[in-house]
Amino acid sequence: MKHLNEEELIEHYYKSNASAERHLDHCAECAAAFVALHSDLAAIEFPALPNRDAAYGERVWASISASLPRLEAPKQNRLGWRLLRGLSYASAFGLLLACAFFAGRQWEHGHQPTTTVAVKQPQSQPAAKTPERVVVVVLSDHLDRSERLLVELKHTDANSQEMINPLRDQARSLLAANQLCRRQARKQDDPALTAALDRLDQLFNQLANQPGGLTPAAITRLQDQLNSDSLLFEVRVLRSKVLDQKPAVITRSYGGTI
Amino acid sequence: MVRMGKNDHAAVRAILAGDKEAYGALVASHSESLFRVAFRITGNEADADDVVQEAFLRGYQKLESFERRSNFGTWIYRIAVRCALDRISAPRAESRRVAEVSDPEQAEVQVADSAASPERLLLSGEILALQKQALRNLTPMEQAAFTLRHLEDCSTEEIAAALSIAPNAAKQAVFRAVQKMRSQLAPLRMNR
Repeated sequence: MKHLNEEELIEHYYKSNASAERHLDHCAECAAAFVALHSDLAAIEFPALPNRDAAYGERVWASISASLPRLEAPKQNRLGWRLLRGLSYASAFGLLLACAFFAGRQWEHGHQPTTTVAVKQPQSQPAAKTPERVVVVVLSDHLDRSERLLVELKHTDANSQEMINPLRDQARSLLAANQLCRRQARKQDDPALTAALDRLDQLFNQLANQPGGLTPAAITRLQDQLNSDSLLFEVRVLRSKVLDQKPAVITRSYGGTI
Repeated sequence: MVRMGKNDHAAVRAILAGDKEAYGALVASHSESLFRVAFRITGNEADADDVVQEAFLRGYQKLESFERRSNFGTWIYRIAVRCALDRISAPRAESRRVAEVSDPEQAEVQVADSAASPERLLLSGEILALQKQALRNLTPMEQAAFTLRHLEDCSTEEIAAALSIAPNAAKQAVFRAVQKMRSQLAPLRMNR
């Protein structure tokens, strides 16, 4: 039997792990080590947090407000220009994709008959390349949409069917894109992204396909689960990483024609 | 980790539009959580107050780079953690520690004395002092990571994001901190 090392015990102390728990149930040696660790960490005392009254924030503001300059309009304009520039790049990229797509279709329509007539090949000649259906999923957009869904789930009223139904619809629409992203993340051997997308998949599935529909109890359970496993934070971190990189475009090809 | 502020985004928009006073609302609603984490990392009330002010100043200066889809509370919390880390990493903090240790009166309570009687060690003030010293003997990064994990209940990913390090580095920092703490506090174990 492979014993748990100290690092694993510490990890288990801070974040309970089912496999470590099972091992501790059967291994007296590791269980004793874990009890000792628990006892040591629980015994550490920290200085009591000094009390800060309700007016503390106002005092902080009073102490710093004089040294803060007013943010001026040109800075806002620069921000606006940056936003505008970003949007124009995105539009240009989209336009380029659309042009490439239509050009490809036109080229194909223009060349198929010509080839047949000029070369006079028999029907058995390999057919012209079948156009592929290209599904482009921008990972950052997917994470963004997922984050918004998680935030809505976190704050939704479990008893309000009006709020729950749109959540279920959004989860259904995100499921397919999430599966594409998962496959791509596995191909790219990105364990952090894969793990997060796997957990998103579970959550979306539970939201979208809950047997018996989404009851207030089911929503509360999902909210508790969301609050305890830091999935929302992970998604935010991943999205900020993706935004820091170049736009991560996942391309997936399906056979068939449009 | 931090509370959500529904009006935070509206306040950020107002500040960027030139309404400086709108920042006051953000300062008022997030000061307490920033003070909490700053005090836990620095272990000093005055330093924690300074960290809170510095974090809000830095936040204001960087507000244009704030990603509007992010949560302001999380963003400013991370800035505060980095300010606190800078504070405990600064040479001034180091020299203060040396000065404190070289103070003979304090040295008596801060250094683990293997010859001390169990009764003496049981005095809670001295135990606290020994624990405080054990914390100070950690590197600033280990101290911050341990505090975030042990007291702030942050996940490895949250610690990594707050300290701008890789998740594995955050995990290792917590691991080393726990090892060192246990080793330094071993004299207390026999008295429990």
